[in-house]
Amino acid sequence: MMTGSETAQLENIEVRYKPKVLIVEDEKGLRLGVKRLLQGEGYNVTAAENGTEGVAFGTSAEFDLAVIDLKMPDLDGIDVMKEIVKVFPNTICFIVTAYASYDTAIEAAKFGAYSYIPKPFNPPELLDQLRKGYERRTLLLEAEKWRKEREERLLEVTFEKTRLNTIINSITDGVLVVNKNGEVVLYNPSAMRYLGFEKITIEEYIIDKLHPAIANLINKFLHTGNYEHKSYSTQIELKNPAGQKESGGGLFIEATSSPVPHPDGTLAGVVVTIKNITEMKKIEMLKSQFVSMVSHELKAPIAAVYGYLKLLSGGTLNISKEQQTNYILRSEIRLDGLLKMVNDLLDISRMEMKTVQRELKELNIADVIKAVIDLLQFEISKKKITVEIKKGENIPSFRADNDEMNRLFINLISNAIKYNKENGKITVEINYENKFIIIKIADTGIGLKPAEKDKLFQEFFRARNEKTKNISGTGLGLSIVKRIVESYSGKIEAESEYGTGACFKVLLPR
Amino acid sequence: MAKIVIIDDDPDILDASSLVLTSQGFEVLTAANPDDGYKMVKEQSPDLIILDVMMNEPDDGFFLAQRFRKEKINIPIIMYTSVSKTIGMNFGVSEIVPVDEFVEKPISPEELIEKVSKILHQPVSTGSKKKEGK
Repeated sequence: MMTGSETAQLENIEVRYKPKVLIVEDEKGLRLGVKRLLQGEGYNVTAAENGTEGVAFGTSAEFDLAVIDLKMPDLDGIDVMKEIVKVFPNTICFIVTAYASYDTAIEAAKFGAYSYIPKPFNPPELLDQLRKGYERRTLLLEAEKWRKEREERLLEVTFEKTRLNTIINSITDGVLVVNKNGEVVLYNPSAMRYLGFEKITIEEYIIDKLHPAIANLINKFLHTGNYEHKSYSTQIELKNPAGQKESGGGLFIEATSSPVPHPDGTLAGVVVTIKNITEMKKIEMLKSQFVSMVSHELKAPIAAVYGYLKLLSGGTLNISKEQQTNYILRSEIRLDGLLKMVNDLLDISRMEMKTVQRELKELNIADVIKAVIDLLQFEISKKKITVEIKKGENIPSFRADNDEMNRLFINLISNAIKYNKENGKITVEINYENKFIIIKIADTGIGLKPAEKDKLFQEFFRARNEKTKNISGTGLGLSIVKRIVESYSGKIEAESEYGTGACFKVLLPR
Repeated sequence: MAKIVIIDDDPDILDASSLVLTSQGFEVLTAANPDDGYKMVKEQSPDLIILDVMMNEPDDGFFLAQRFRKEKINIPIIMYTSVSKTIGMNFGVSEIVPVDEFVEKPISPEELIEKVSKILHQPVSTGSKKKEGK
């Protein structure tokens, strides 16, 4: 623990800072006399015997005070002072002169001397002057310290503001802030783009220039004055937004307005954020198109079966026994197709949601295809189709789920059967090239028209023409095939000439 | 006896509809796609056309109806629809959809008979001249 006397001693040491004084005086007696006097008074004294030395000392280290003789053989005292102050503006300078006059006093002051001391002088006068000078110096330093701090803080604030602006300007969502008079307070370039403005001026009244729906969002707060802490949103289709012309179709935006409160809770203004939701809208549209397609496809067999049932149950119509049996048979076929379609849709949905449970194993693709051909043997024989498998050399195994590979080749080969002609042929080629297992399945059937090839893998697309009208299908088979192939980072291509047969080429990376 | 052409790509719908209408004494002809349907209408000049809205392409029934009207074929048209309610579209009789009546699939024989009879026996004014049922 520290005792009382120890504390006092420490304080003493701290208090005893010795102000640094530079004396520039060519008269040796006076120089040494002043030095001794000041040292005795607790100053840290450095003495220069001429002006040149004075400049050298005074500019190489900072002195608190400088006492400079006006008349020296080499340099004028005022010039010495000027040089020192140039480097250390806070050094308090005194000019000492035997020729005291108003003129010299004024000149000295003009060039920054704190005071001038007439020669000869008495020690108390000198000490008094120096004490006042030192006080002045302390004040100056204090002031400078504050000024610097203030400057630094300002710099910080400015920097913070710049950074915040940079962030706001970089946001891809539009940001627009208006005060409670509807005048712009802040905006970013994205806002300008979405609102279709060439220029926005801070403090301009903007409400009447905005899209009515956005103006309405802001007015919900401005007109009421008081507000609840909630936001309002609206979705707008912009027909011809500036800078978005190249994108072709319309631009959909979602604007959200929220109140900006003062610290006391009253309304300061409104912030509007604008988000580009075009992609979302496109997906929504695709989704509803898909839903409509699915509905149509599901409804067709329902309508057919419903029609038959109505005929059978109506009793008013005269239907032969033979016709009745036929209607029941055809209803069964349609319901069977409906069931297949629902199962395919469920498969697609499972694949989309990635909830398919895969059991990956090293598979021999040729074996998978042979098994599929065995499975479809009944249909193959019925149409008297010959199947040929050409297998290349060194075909590696492929790591995949057996069920998925089965489904992939069942779909492709049953298409090759369905769309083939009687006594036709199916050729399956399996090769390994450039790290891809390549499987080609070619038939000798109807083939594909060029326009059909592009749409082939879309859901519910079925090549519809005279030759295919009696072939049933869900329109989902190839869409499932494509999904399976792509889920293994593979690729599927269709090559064909209408009338001579179709060829599907599957590339699986190995 | 009034002559009706039904154009629909679903053979079962063609069958069932034909049976219903034949039983009512109408002469029924069917076509399984828009092209055949167009030819049949041109050749046969029926008193009524029943047209499916969606065949090879979604909307090709619409386009066929528009084509008939453009070529001043003002035979009344009943349109079979199936997905209008699903996608929230409300079809109405208008310039764009120049047909006289809609029947939503699945079709009940009673409704079909009622709508067909209404059009053939008491022609409703749609702003276009129509042939009377013979």
